[in-house]
Amino acid sequence: MNTILLLLILLPLFGAFLLPVVGRHLPRRAVEIIACASVLGSLVMAIVAFFIGGQKTYVLTLLPWINVNDFSAAMSVYYNPVAAIMALMVTFVSSLIHLYSVSFMREDEDYVRYFCYMNLFVFAMLIITLSDNLIFLYLGWEGVGFCSYALIGFWYHDIGNAIAGRKAFYLTRIGDFAFGIAIGLFFITFKELSIFYINGHALSLGAKMATVFGLLLLWAAVGKSAQLPLVVWLPDAMAGPTPVSALIHAATMVTAGVYLLMRMFPVILQSPAALFVIALVGAVTSFYAACSALAQKDIKRILAYSTISQVSYMLLGVGAGDIIGSMFHLLTHAFFKALLFLGAGCVIQALHEEHDIFQMGNLRDRLPVVYWLFLAGALSLGALPFTGGFFSKDRILLATLSHPELSYKLLWGLAALTALLTPLYTFRLFFIAFLRRPGRIDREIRPIPKLMVWVLWPLAFLSLFGGFLSLPAIWSGGEWLSQYLVSVPGTISLNIPPSFEWGMEIGSGFAAVAILIIAYFLYYPTPFSFRAFWEELLFTGFYLDWLYQKMVVLPYEGIAKFLWLKIDEGSLDQGIDQTGNFLPIFSAGLRQWTTGRLSTYLKMLLLGFTAILLALAVGWYYF
Amino acid sequence: MTLYSIIFYVLATVILVATLLAITRRNTVHAVVYLILSFLGTALLFYLLGAPFLAVLEAIIYAGGIMVLFLFIVMMIGTGPSAKRVNLSQWLPAVILGMISLFTAAILLFSVPLTQEPLIAASAAPIEFGRFLFENYWFPVEITSFLLLIALVGTLYLGRQETKEEKK
Amino acid sequence: MIVPYSHLLLLAVLLFVLGAVCSVSHRNLVMILIGVEIMLNAAGLAFIGASLHWQKLEGQAFFLFILAVAASEVAVGLALLVYSQRRTHSVDSNDYSLLKG
Repeated sequence: MNTILLLLILLPLFGAFLLPVVGRHLPRRAVEIIACASVLGSLVMAIVAFFIGGQKTYVLTLLPWINVNDFSAAMSVYYNPVAAIMALMVTFVSSLIHLYSVSFMREDEDYVRYFCYMNLFVFAMLIITLSDNLIFLYLGWEGVGFCSYALIGFWYHDIGNAIAGRKAFYLTRIGDFAFGIAIGLFFITFKELSIFYINGHALSLGAKMATVFGLLLLWAAVGKSAQLPLVVWLPDAMAGPTPVSALIHAATMVTAGVYLLMRMFPVILQSPAALFVIALVGAVTSFYAACSALAQKDIKRILAYSTISQVSYMLLGVGAGDIIGSMFHLLTHAFFKALLFLGAGCVIQALHEEHDIFQMGNLRDRLPVVYWLFLAGALSLGALPFTGGFFSKDRILLATLSHPELSYKLLWGLAALTALLTPLYTFRLFFIAFLRRPGRIDREIRPIPKLMVWVLWPLAFLSLFGGFLSLPAIWSGGEWLSQYLVSVPGTISLNIPPSFEWGMEIGSGFAAVAILIIAYFLYYPTPFSFRAFWEELLFTGFYLDWLYQKMVVLPYEGIAKFLWLKIDEGSLDQGIDQTGNFLPIFSAGLRQWTTGRLSTYLKMLLLGFTAILLALAVGWYYF
Repeated sequence: MTLYSIIFYVLATVILVATLLAITRRNTVHAVVYLILSFLGTALLFYLLGAPFLAVLEAIIYAGGIMVLFLFIVMMIGTGPSAKRVNLSQWLPAVILGMISLFTAAILLFSVPLTQEPLIAASAAPIEFGRFLFENYWFPVEITSFLLLIALVGTLYLGRQETKEEKK
Repeated sequence: MIVPYSHLLLLAVLLFVLGAVCSVSHRNLVMILIGVEIMLNAAGLAFIGASLHWQKLEGQAFFLFILAVAASEVAVGLALLVYSQRRTHSVDSNDYSLLKG
């Protein structure tokens, strides 16, 4: 296990060190392969660790580090189910984004620097995810801040980008300052800097000390996760390349703040005041960001404000005491936000670097795949029923509403209001940027490489179906994620009466669909004329004929056609015809294997070897 | 991090990189030369793992005999550098299956507590090894010599110049 | 004291997989044989490692036999290769498809 975790963390570092040294002398493909392979290797290690780890907790020392007098800090890791899930998510999304970057940066000459910083970022993020020692975590914390600065200002020849990078660095630094103080205070209070130790002894903290810790850690999270008041760096950070925005400012770095609070939750749990402040910051920032998103013109700025709003939800979840819900929303948000950013990147490149949504449009025919996948992400962000975002957001809202204190009910109100605004700005974005604009001549789109679009598919699948990771009990779902994470200290299992939960889910589902319809009427590109609408309504007899057509005639014809072509001719007739044909077809299929070519036989040998190895492994594990 | 483990990791890296380069070369001669490098690295690794006799044997027979034989054959046949690029349908299934088996084997290896113990350095002096081999396994050694004889005969027969009668 | 046993075995497995990939993905017969050699070497490495782990010499003895077998197999294999190349003037494995059914 030691080795696996060590490899998990070190593989991206290996890539980050190798690339600047030899990158310029290697062909471009080799550099891209090294960068992607190191992150994919980390993904493999994360999967292996997940399967081996089960639900156990590991506290392992990987390497000795600082050892001065009687103070020692080692590079140790604290691996529990929360860390396992986070590591899986970080490596998975990073791998996809590295693959996407290979295509996205295909015309940039500075790719060595880009991939070096991306690998370094993944390394630092994995340190944050797994670290046990607080100073080691601080190393990772600063590392992600630095890489964020380097990558935002990647195209530094344009001075605006460099300024945006600096702004990000300053503001997160203000937060890191509080984290440094917190580390010092932890050492004074506990004489130990291991998270595992501190969490174990959290009960010995008085409420006042716990409040101080909670507020300091909250300030650090506010800086890193772009919450009020340190929120202004994230919209400007969109100056960086889009994959950077997807990785750093959607899925990983901005969630690092929330993750830190989750790791140190037993400490914060001792102080209800700190928890309330966290929830308050979360709810207010969420509302603030959703309102701001409603009026933006740049597609990436809308997504940036959306990120702020959604990360605030996670903060609200932590403040309400529900770590599992927060983690669940972290996961679904990573998937759909990365999908949205990467899709936006495809659109931006296809439309010749156009960022203004009012200049976009007509993308259904021109970029069909991106259109539908982006729609999938938008559905999940707007928390339309049955998507991943729906279940995770509902869980957080339920946790907030069912909290015993009254003040949380007010926060729930704010969060619910934000939940109404979210589908509004999301579908505003979608309708204006993607739908048809009649009467406008469009430029030819640039063809975009297939890899950029393929990467979107797994993210779309996870956005839409990720909710099944933790279906609430009322849907007789497995609640797999909740069961998995429950063993971690500080988590609670929500006990909500089923009727309450039903009401909430149905209510929010209806609300989301209603807002979608409102957004449709407000933002649909064709101008809406009331008179034209009335005239048409009365002319067609209140659309009665249309209604009958749509509801009765067309479905009937459709079913009849289906029954005729597919079942009658297709299944029955063909079935009888093909039964006799079965044997020739079967042997023709088998004949494919006897090509007489050595390469086919060798492939089959390797396939058989792999199959036997897998069978042995499965047999070993389960018997 | 003892000296032995540093040497092990360095050698392991050399071996892996050399083998990786060997299997991705289009020019067969380049591939063979990289493989010689890999085998020399393996020979050093055997020395580290306490088999000095076998280390020398690996360098002489494997790297110095078998690989040189490959070079002879390649130069005799004359497969030029015009070898076509290995296309995707060729190497993709191989790489995918390879990764699956690597992954499975890694999980198997790391989930058994037996394999987590460190190796203890030891060395088998050639004289001890020779004594052991001929005391316990003299029969397989005899069979091996027989095997080599058969291989020799077979190779000579296969590689003969065809006389005019045989061509007809 | 050197390294954990699993690291050595992992190295052997990695080399074996590299050899297998080389064997399966090349069409040139010489590269296929080279892949086989890599696999044999990897197996030998595993044996030497095992012999060090259990502190017995059987593993090293068996490596000697592997060496002998590899040598004879290479000799015969290359002789076959030369023979067939003289007949069909090609070392591309796709050209040897007489067994096609």
